[in-house]
Amino acid sequence: MPHPENDMTQNPPDLATEEAVSILRGRHLPGVLVFIIADMAVFCMLFVGFMVDRMKDVALFNNSAIALDVRFGVANTLILVTSGLFVVLAVNAARAGLRKTTRGWLLLSFLVGAGFGVSKIVEYSIKISSGITMQTNPFYMYYYALTGAHFLHFVGGMIALAVLWVLAGREATVSRNTFNLIESGALYWHMVDLLWLFLFPMLYLLVPR
Amino acid sequence: MNTAATTTAYLPDDAVAIPEPQVIKGRLSNTQYFKYWRTCAAMGPIFLTAFIICWGVLGHNIPPIPADHTADQMAEFFRTHYNEVRAGMAGAMLFGVLYLPWTLSITKVMEWINPLENNIATTLQMWGGGLTVVPLVTSSVFWLTAAYRPDVLSPVTLQMLYDQGWLLIDMFYAITTIPMVAIGVAGLTDKRAAPLFPRWACWFSIWAGISFLFELLMPFFKSGLFARQGWLNFWVEFIVWFAYIVIITYYVFKAIPRLEKERTAALAKA
Repeated sequence: MPHPENDMTQNPPDLATEEAVSILRGRHLPGVLVFIIADMAVFCMLFVGFMVDRMKDVALFNNSAIALDVRFGVANTLILVTSGLFVVLAVNAARAGLRKTTRGWLLLSFLVGAGFGVSKIVEYSIKISSGITMQTNPFYMYYYALTGAHFLHFVGGMIALAVLWVLAGREATVSRNTFNLIESGALYWHMVDLLWLFLFPMLYLLVPR
Repeated sequence: MNTAATTTAYLPDDAVAIPEPQVIKGRLSNTQYFKYWRTCAAMGPIFLTAFIICWGVLGHNIPPIPADHTADQMAEFFRTHYNEVRAGMAGAMLFGVLYLPWTLSITKVMEWINPLENNIATTLQMWGGGLTVVPLVTSSVFWLTAAYRPDVLSPVTLQMLYDQGWLLIDMFYAITTIPMVAIGVAGLTDKRAAPLFPRWACWFSIWAGISFLFELLMPFFKSGLFARQGWLNFWVEFIVWFAYIVIITYYVFKAIPRLEKERTAALAKA
């Protein structure tokens, strides 16, 4: 027989209590943070690599960067930050045990976030149709590699949001386990935001216009 | 440390289901049941050490010959170091297969994570880990072929063989990603208060497996961070893989005595 305290599905927690939150953090969050920190460490190395290579040929990097459309960058930033805000609201609703509200915010976050995918695909299409690929020059190697890796993270986040929405829909109230998953998913989604907040100025704004 | 307290901590909590009879194999004593587990687990560090020496040092693969070197430079390397490469690759092919018993030791521990659930993750881990031997051994054959008759093979042929070895070992990364993700996903579902594989190790395993995706870019570059000798696709990715082997081995060795106690308790309950 499962231990009653460990059987999360049959014993919906009082998620509003600090104790419950503390237990959840102790059991699960450090693990997710390992994933996030390791991921960000690799991105940080890529950022350093970009800056080091940029110093070797500033003119090339600037001339290439100026060809990027800042409007896409601004739109993507607004989309991701807004989507991130909705995820925070979903976490708050989940903590209060409001299942329908939680699902609503998750759905909104997903829908707004989808705009990033559309925007990136349009931006990539324009670049590729102009003959600009990752082998055009070192700047575009970084542009495609960094934004491509970020895009894969974005896709992973969108899948996570969809799964969380489905999971929350299967329960009468937000269980302890689902709350934990939502909070972990929100942390991951914020990492996707945060990485973009470095990528945008580095790729689009570093060049004097 | 208090022995009684330690023993209690290792006993299964009630959240852990009693495994099915075929998993417990109730007629076997613990000595019989856990025989060879530690031996197989020890194959991980032995593989890692031998592989670094044979494949890496003797084979001159740490770091690899840069992809932007000319065919003549490649030919000069093989015509100078052919005996080292022959010895290194023969050793890599011998010790490379130890990845298989090491994988099996993980499989045996994973069977106890959720014994009452299906064994998809465990099976994926076993097959993925076992098949990882294929790129390790096969890529070594290409380098060994180049070192076998470097005096009569043309520089371009030698370059092609060396490239082919690296393209195989790097681009077959996904077969290693499967067991890494499987261990992580299965480990995260462990209901024990102190899981057999800690959550941080599970997340690291998942992340490390997915991080190999950068190898997708390797065929497009002959220099820079994504090339086979690049700091990302060589140094970071191989160090991450080596670290994964060390971490998982450590927790397999920690899990075995715990499972011995859990099995004793489970048999008493059954």
